[in-house]
Amino acid sequence: MTTPTQANNGSGNPSLFREIATTSGELWWRFVDWVAVLSWPKLALLWLLAMMIGGMLGVPGFALIFVAVSLGTKVLAGGKRRADIAAQRAAERANVESLERRLAEAQLAALQAQIEPHFLFNTLALIGRKIETDQQEAARLHAHLIDYLRAAMPQMRESGGSTLGKQVEMSRAYLAIMQARMKTRLTVDIDVPYELYDLPFPSMMLQVLVENAIKHGLEPKVEGGRISVMARRVDDMLHVDVTDTGIGFSAYGGDGVGLHNLRERLKALFGNAAYLVIDAPAEGGARVSIRIPAREPAANAASS
Amino acid sequence: MNQPTRLPTAVIADDEETMRDLLRSRLRDAWPELQIVGEAANGIEAVAQVNVLKPDIAFLDIRMPGLSGIDAARLLCGQCHVVMVTAYDHYAVQAFEQGAIDYLLKPADPVRLARTRERLTARIGEEPRNLERLLAALAQGGQGMQVGHAAAPAWLRWIQASVGNSVRMISTREILFFHAEDKFTRVQTEHSQALIRKTLRELEGELDPSEFWRIHRSTLVRVDAIAEVVRDHRGRQLVRLRYHDERLEVSRAYGHLFQQM
Repeated sequence: MTTPTQANNGSGNPSLFREIATTSGELWWRFVDWVAVLSWPKLALLWLLAMMIGGMLGVPGFALIFVAVSLGTKVLAGGKRRADIAAQRAAERANVESLERRLAEAQLAALQAQIEPHFLFNTLALIGRKIETDQQEAARLHAHLIDYLRAAMPQMRESGGSTLGKQVEMSRAYLAIMQARMKTRLTVDIDVPYELYDLPFPSMMLQVLVENAIKHGLEPKVEGGRISVMARRVDDMLHVDVTDTGIGFSAYGGDGVGLHNLRERLKALFGNAAYLVIDAPAEGGARVSIRIPAREPAANAASS
Repeated sequence: MNQPTRLPTAVIADDEETMRDLLRSRLRDAWPELQIVGEAANGIEAVAQVNVLKPDIAFLDIRMPGLSGIDAARLLCGQCHVVMVTAYDHYAVQAFEQGAIDYLLKPADPVRLARTRERLTARIGEEPRNLERLLAALAQGGQGMQVGHAAAPAWLRWIQASVGNSVRMISTREILFFHAEDKFTRVQTEHSQALIRKTLRELEGELDPSEFWRIHRSTLVRVDAIAEVVRDHRGRQLVRLRYHDERLEVSRAYGHLFQQM
């Protein structure tokens, strides 16, 4: 809706003139809006009323002009106004749907971000022992545990959106602890270029893959093996791969609640644009890749 | 009855070296006479050590690679007394309490260790109890336990398709349908497709029949992926899928599947 441009009459009272012009303009457009959404039966009733009043006051001409103007306005502006309103309603609906999707995703995220008691108590036992034998090591592991817990507890996560960098640092802390526990049974390899650190990346997705690789791939393997975390930008997608040389997938083993949950979250956040790829490499073990659209940090679409 | 004059012996099993170290240290404090004659890093080693060294007691961590502590205990409980060790295993601990299986938490606290020592000292020289049934129940029934071997599931959950020199694992939950094409079977997901050698007949036998329906000589569809079944102008039934544009023809032989829809 545009207000008519104000005529600048160089003489007399320019501000008063402008006031009148602006107010008339506003009144006109309000009239147009009102007439545009008025239903035809109501409009017809209005015409009848106008004609009666015009007749009674002896100014049937004005009544006719009113009918003509309102008819013209309705025909011309009605369609546009209805379209505007429909568009506004659709936008509201989309907002609601988007909010619902984000809520669903947040609930799934909360479900996913559970700290495993096994991990916690085993790590505490390790730190407890190191306090007796190697204080420096105890302090190092203690610091890692704090980093991990901060990132894993939803209430404690920093606001400001989750980035790939934050998720990598959380997994790094977790893997440092696992490495101290598994010793020669675990080799850790993290290859994530710094320039990718600020890219938005949903929370607790990389960590799910890392924990799966350790719990289901490497811990059960007598000689253990290697876990690699790699991230690359491929065209306009961000690929984050977790590879392990563990015991691999069984064709009959379940999908795992974690992976299913992860897929649902990806769908909620990105629709069809994001997906998981799971491979059994020739060398054995497993490789799971999360692929999401690479968005610039300013337009932060991923939830924290 | 002759009391044995030799000192009691034990084997410690835990996949983490630091934890073996920890238990050793605690046992040295609480039970100095106990001779730790061997250490094992997994269930298989534990069984081997016990067979060779024949100790009185075996301390077994529940979660170990190769063979879990529970499975190792089942194999050993006729030969020596077993004490299960865990950092946390809510379910297992409850079961141990009920079944009167000796257990220790890590780190082992001195009071509990002293009691364990008393109990075991009284029993050394006697026949070790047969805990087979208890342990078998534990190995199978533990939902949150993730130890032992998972019961063999009935249905195929992953399809393996060659991609380059690795194998793509496609979860059955992602598959929309299988379609027989020439010499291969096409596996269609929302995002991609792959070709595999398995025939529809083989797949039908291996997949959960409540999840996948045969709707045509050439087609096996995942029921969840069906959006609706429509009829075309010739009266044929067609399946419209969610997330995918292709429509799948339902042959007359299978038309009865969608009668109620």
